[in-house]
Amino acid sequence: MPHLDPIEKQIVFKIVYFGPGMSGKTTNLLYIHKALTDKYKGEMLVLDTEKERTLFFDFFPVSLGTVQGYSLKFHLYTIPGQIFYEASRRIILLGADGVVFVADSSADRLDDNVEMFRLMNENLRSHDIDPSSFPVVLQYNKRDCNPKLEIGVIERELGLQSIPVTESIAIEGKGVMKTLQVVSKEIIKRFQIS
Amino acid sequence: MQLPRNDDPKTIEDFLSGLVKRSEAITALLISREGICISKVGNVETLNSTALAALVAGMFAATKEVANIVGEEQFSILLQQGEKRHIHISLIGQRSMMIVVFEDYRRIGRVRHEARAISPDLVRLLESRDKSRKEDADDISVPEFREYALNLIDRIFVVGEEEDASS
Repeated sequence: MPHLDPIEKQIVFKIVYFGPGMSGKTTNLLYIHKALTDKYKGEMLVLDTEKERTLFFDFFPVSLGTVQGYSLKFHLYTIPGQIFYEASRRIILLGADGVVFVADSSADRLDDNVEMFRLMNENLRSHDIDPSSFPVVLQYNKRDCNPKLEIGVIERELGLQSIPVTESIAIEGKGVMKTLQVVSKEIIKRFQIS
Repeated sequence: MQLPRNDDPKTIEDFLSGLVKRSEAITALLISREGICISKVGNVETLNSTALAALVAGMFAATKEVANIVGEEQFSILLQQGEKRHIHISLIGQRSMMIVVFEDYRRIGRVRHEARAISPDLVRLLESRDKSRKEDADDISVPEFREYALNLIDRIFVVGEEEDASS
């Protein structure tokens, strides 16, 4: 559920970029931050280690403008992908309105992708969110790698039927804005005042 | 010396302003545990309150995990002491936090006292705000909101020709 504040007149949706370590979550955010003009974006926070692995999260706010007198905002977060940061991932998913699952298309990373997707579903359930009705977009990143996973293989492994899928090479910016567009539309389509 | 309180503080901003004034703090913010700034008063122009809210919420949630590890349900107060500026963070009910930024560390007692004193009023106001949220948001027409929002997304999250990664 988004943060809807009739006094401050703002609606804020939270999008989390989830996925295994080194799949390109931070690269997605860096590209989006670079691509958007200044009037739409806030400062980007990158909390990483000296080895450029995300330690806690990356974050930046996007303000799209005013809709019916309300300032419409998206807050974009990444999670740390390394397997031992389980607690951090759970924390960052709190209050999420949608997720981009950034999968690594390298052929030898199928198990990592599948395991992390299952962990994500567990994390969502721990926040009383039903993953089957929650906006999740599956982004096959690193489509330039070889050998690479076939599109559809992750969905088959996980028994996912109708998840929106995008392809990307985030390091080149390809497919990044498309993915953001798909996830934000999925979120808006489900928006209601409860 | 006990400083006089506002004549009749009514809003969250009134209570936060009173705290800032009496404790001689720089600023006070109320944030949700999801990391969104609900209210801010004092000298907020030089502070990136959006980033501060996101970071403090994450920090507080991480501290809750630490509390669980040592057998506590949660820590209700966090204090960060710097060279010139300090931050006092306190839990307000179960869903919000108050951040007070101040300079003179000798005023920590006053900050803590004021934070504790206004906490029940903030909880009450937040609860009432939550209850009236749906009514207050009645001015939003959901179908129109969706339509306008989808248009903005198309216009701002622009997908260029070079974007295609499927070929």
